[in-house]
Amino acid sequence: MLSFVLIALASLFFTGVIIRTKSITAGRKGPGIMQPVKDVIRLMKKGAVYSQTTSIVFRLAPVVYFCTVAMAALLIPFGSSRGVISFNGDFIFFAYLLGLGKFFNIIAAMDTGSSFEGMGASREALYSLFAEPAFFIILGSLALLTGNTSFYDIFSALHLGSYITYALAVLAALVLAMIAMIENSRLPIDDPKTHLELTMVHEVMILDNSGFDLGLILYAGYLKFAIFGAIIANLFTGGMSLLWALVVFVGTQFSFAVVIGLIESFMARFRMNHNAQFIFALSSVSFLIFLGVLLVLGKFI
Amino acid sequence: MVAINGLLVLIIAAIVVILLVNVRGKGMFAAAAVVTIAIVSSMVAIPALLGHSFEVMLTGTYTFGPVVIKVDALSAWFILTINFTMTTGIFYGLGYMKRYADQRNSITLHAIAYILLHLALVGLCAIQNAMVFLLFWEMMALSAFVLITFEHEKKDTLRAGINYLIHSHVSIIFLMLGFMYVAFKTGSYSFSAIADFAHHQSAMAGIALFLAFFIGFAIKAGFVPFHTWLPYAHPVAPAHISAVMSGVVIKIGIFGMLRMLLLINSDYTTIGFIILFASILSGVYGVMLAIIQHNLKRLLAYHSIENIGIIGIGMGIGTIGLGIHNEVLAILGFGGALLHVLNHSLFKSLLFYGAGNVYLATHTVAIEKLGGIIKKMPRTAILFLIAALAISGLPPFNGFVSEFLIYSGLYGWIGSGSIGTLVIVLFSLLSLVLIGGLALLCFTKAFSIVFLGSSRHVNIEEVQEQGQLQLVPMYFVGLLMLLIGFFPALFLRILQQPIALFTQTIGTAPQPIPVNITNALHTIGWAGLLFALFIIALWILRRWVSSSKPVEVGPTWGCGYPTSSAKLQYTANSFARSYSKLAKPMLDIGKKEIAITEVFPSKKHYETHTYDKLERYFIDKLIKLIKVVTGWFLFLQNGRLQRYILYGILFISGVIIIPIIIEKIMMLLHFLNNL
Amino acid sequence: MTNILLILFIISLLYLSIANRLVTYIRVLALQGFILFGVTFLALEEINTLNLVLILLETVVFKAVAVPVFLSRLIKRNHITREAEPYLPNFVSLIITTVIVVVTVLLANSIKDTHVDKIFFIVALSSLFAGLYIIASRKKIITHVMGYLIIENGVFVLSLAVGNEMPMLVNLGVMLDIFASVLILGIFLNKIGDVFKDVNVDQLSNLKDY
Repeated sequence: MLSFVLIALASLFFTGVIIRTKSITAGRKGPGIMQPVKDVIRLMKKGAVYSQTTSIVFRLAPVVYFCTVAMAALLIPFGSSRGVISFNGDFIFFAYLLGLGKFFNIIAAMDTGSSFEGMGASREALYSLFAEPAFFIILGSLALLTGNTSFYDIFSALHLGSYITYALAVLAALVLAMIAMIENSRLPIDDPKTHLELTMVHEVMILDNSGFDLGLILYAGYLKFAIFGAIIANLFTGGMSLLWALVVFVGTQFSFAVVIGLIESFMARFRMNHNAQFIFALSSVSFLIFLGVLLVLGKFI
Repeated sequence: MVAINGLLVLIIAAIVVILLVNVRGKGMFAAAAVVTIAIVSSMVAIPALLGHSFEVMLTGTYTFGPVVIKVDALSAWFILTINFTMTTGIFYGLGYMKRYADQRNSITLHAIAYILLHLALVGLCAIQNAMVFLLFWEMMALSAFVLITFEHEKKDTLRAGINYLIHSHVSIIFLMLGFMYVAFKTGSYSFSAIADFAHHQSAMAGIALFLAFFIGFAIKAGFVPFHTWLPYAHPVAPAHISAVMSGVVIKIGIFGMLRMLLLINSDYTTIGFIILFASILSGVYGVMLAIIQHNLKRLLAYHSIENIGIIGIGMGIGTIGLGIHNEVLAILGFGGALLHVLNHSLFKSLLFYGAGNVYLATHTVAIEKLGGIIKKMPRTAILFLIAALAISGLPPFNGFVSEFLIYSGLYGWIGSGSIGTLVIVLFSLLSLVLIGGLALLCFTKAFSIVFLGSSRHVNIEEVQEQGQLQLVPMYFVGLLMLLIGFFPALFLRILQQPIALFTQTIGTAPQPIPVNITNALHTIGWAGLLFALFIIALWILRRWVSSSKPVEVGPTWGCGYPTSSAKLQYTANSFARSYSKLAKPMLDIGKKEIAITEVFPSKKHYETHTYDKLERYFIDKLIKLIKVVTGWFLFLQNGRLQRYILYGILFISGVIIIPIIIEKIMMLLHFLNNL
Repeated sequence: MTNILLILFIISLLYLSIANRLVTYIRVLALQGFILFGVTFLALEEINTLNLVLILLETVVFKAVAVPVFLSRLIKRNHITREAEPYLPNFVSLIITTVIVVVTVLLANSIKDTHVDKIFFIVALSSLFAGLYIIASRKKIITHVMGYLIIENGVFVLSLAVGNEMPMLVNLGVMLDIFASVLILGIFLNKIGDVFKDVNVDQLSNLKDY
């Protein structure tokens, strides 16, 4: 339960820090850190406009998407306390839950009958296809390293000792961070700021949502960021006491948000054709992490 | 014994009655016969599933030897799956065939063939004698052929049916090779002879024997590269026949493989790796080709190939588990494979029923012509959505449970083994993940283009929801799928006996399923229920919050275009384009286009056809070679009657003269020898 | 620590397979030079100091500084365009490079010799095949030279693996590097570069006999 509360708290501030970082690097003062939350509350107080081409799927999708993300947050452990739901193989459940959310997003986008949403939907389906193997291979490497198969067991048994395990953990954190940016459609895969349809992936899929639905979708996005930040923090808190684990957690979430802000300020988005190979490169790098784990375990005689 | 005789008498009576009554009666009697077979076989199967197998020996004839009929836990599981799908199939068929009610003879044949197919399938699960097994196999193949080619006036249907028939007979040849070899060596046609024979053979001979059976059953099941009949046969058949073919007929191939695994107790590790590689190839290839299909039923047919691949991956790791004496791996592998057999028959039949409804309402299964059907056929659309979610392996439905078991097996196996095995484990994991992701891509495309958006070519006003007779079987299938999704631990416990049959082959006592797996499944079930409750709660919350706010309906945001046209929507081809560009080396897409070259374009044309690359290289070239070789002998068939009579004269004179000449030559040689 | 650096080396190979511009190739070669400097420093402890200093200087001076500077001067002088023009799309290159690494891992596993540290063998063989693949799949001549340099880096890594027992082998690796620089100088900075106006390899096929 503790991890769920922490993730919920972190999600309130995460996007605010990103936007603030971007503003400061651009020389502006920027909106307050709680502004995204205020946006969500404002949206939830509004009415909605539904397109006449849409059906019940369009009304159902934001609800299902939010529930999948909230349920996924229940699976993440924190330090020495388990997640609310924890069993052997729960990371498989985690990945497929997020996949369920994506499925509904994609069909809701196609439901509007607009070519913009269709474009975003087709790209989203392709990119999530390539990002999945990276996640599974990293968790496979961690499962191999620690000999366990649930989030809690893996992270609590992960003791980083030698140089190489630290390096592998940093590399895994980098790959997970990139997966998080792909899932949340941030640079360098997708630009949340541009409203040119040819250059968007995720942002264009929610063009026709409004009111409560849009608030749900935005908040689910913030939650997803916090979830991935929590997983990255977990890589480094194996076996620490509660206080230190808290410090590492807050530090990781904050620095993750700042790094995303910096990347968004200084990098342009990749050419759309190059996105697919970049995402697949993540899977190759995670195979190298697997190789590193094999080295650590001394499987090479 | 009495039951079997009684059953056969009832079936013959039903067939005779069907020949006589009117069309409506034919349907009802066929349904009654199918239900009777289902009830009788289930009465035997349910106790067998819980451990009390049923065995009876018929004396048989002189050629066959004694015929043993045995229903053990494995047969029971398959019999129950077959019964469920055949029953929903006949009831759906009653509704579907209403529009063909004027074709009396075809319907008679159809009804009789359906009953025979059911009987053959149930019999194949129970018979333990090689000759009778082949007999029933042929009966199944022929009745399936009759069922597929219902619309035999269409040329494509007949071609697809004959394609299927030829593949079936090639598979019989391989099965015959295996059976005849064993019968030749041991003198008995019984299955227990195969077990004894394999026990005394070297590992290589055992593997070779298993391979012969494997190829035979793989052609039936639709493993790549023997799969080319599937995408032709399933689209041309009526919807309930496609459902039955995909749901149970190809599973008989899997049943055959599993039965042979139990009997041929030799080098399990090598056999396991062979099955694993073949399945990975089928799974990935099947789904990669499914994404680019334009025909809804053909897309579903390729997905059947993919799911057979997933079942094969489960079987493969289970067999490897038996070979390396890792019981947990064996339990998880076979558990996942057997559960997926049931799951796939459920959601694939539901998908085909949905496609059948769409075909009856709109008279087309071309995806690019449909759209927006959900507004007129909401029940079909929701059921199709549930099945699409299940086949992509998403929680909280049943597809996730069986894939979870296979994943758990792979991740549990990661702890042990050398680098070679670890790389193979990683490779299998990677392929399972890719299969899941590609299936998601494919079914979002299929569901959204067919049911959502606005209609592309079909006149949406004429589309109507189908009748209760077709919807009620679909509700039952959906219900069972949700049950498996929410209570998975129960089904794994039911599977305990069939799995125990496999672990017993390596001599250990039947182990209970590991506690952490049952706990995991329990948690998944509860999480699924919690998830459903969560959604309902959030929906009600949203209703309550927005009740006081203005909710309007307006056109989709069109970026300034004054009219919204259905042609502006994304098509299936464009949805899959980003994928097909990347996968182009593996795909075979023919494109015919008249491109836009001028500033003010005139009428242009763009057409794509997908073809199967493996089919082009394996099947077409082989057929061309056969035609070339047999073409050398074309001169024999010149159509002139006198020449044919000449052949006859030559033959008769040859038969008389040649032995005389040979005798003379022998005498000459004898004489020369004695000089 | 050497393991980390060598894994970074393989990541640089993967990055090379999806790189688009020649400048990126040069930067990756410089990075590989620095990585090899680090590996040499950490791995070769048992040879005499003079030899060690020589080898260290060689990796830094030649691989990380001199060769990249030469190559960039070359590109500017011959007005070679920015793009590295591959025959196969980058996605396929990435998949092939990953498969090369996987196959090398499996190959390394079947070697029963315990004297060679396997990770060195894996990195060396991967660079060898990746370099050969880069040569085979790109149109420009300059990328041929870069592929050759990558192969050479791989050979150097392998010589490091046994460098403690056979320091002469490492010196041979150094010779190989100097040979490569002479190759570049000789062919390109010479007037031959001016005579060959076309920088694509298609024209080289005009040299055949018939």
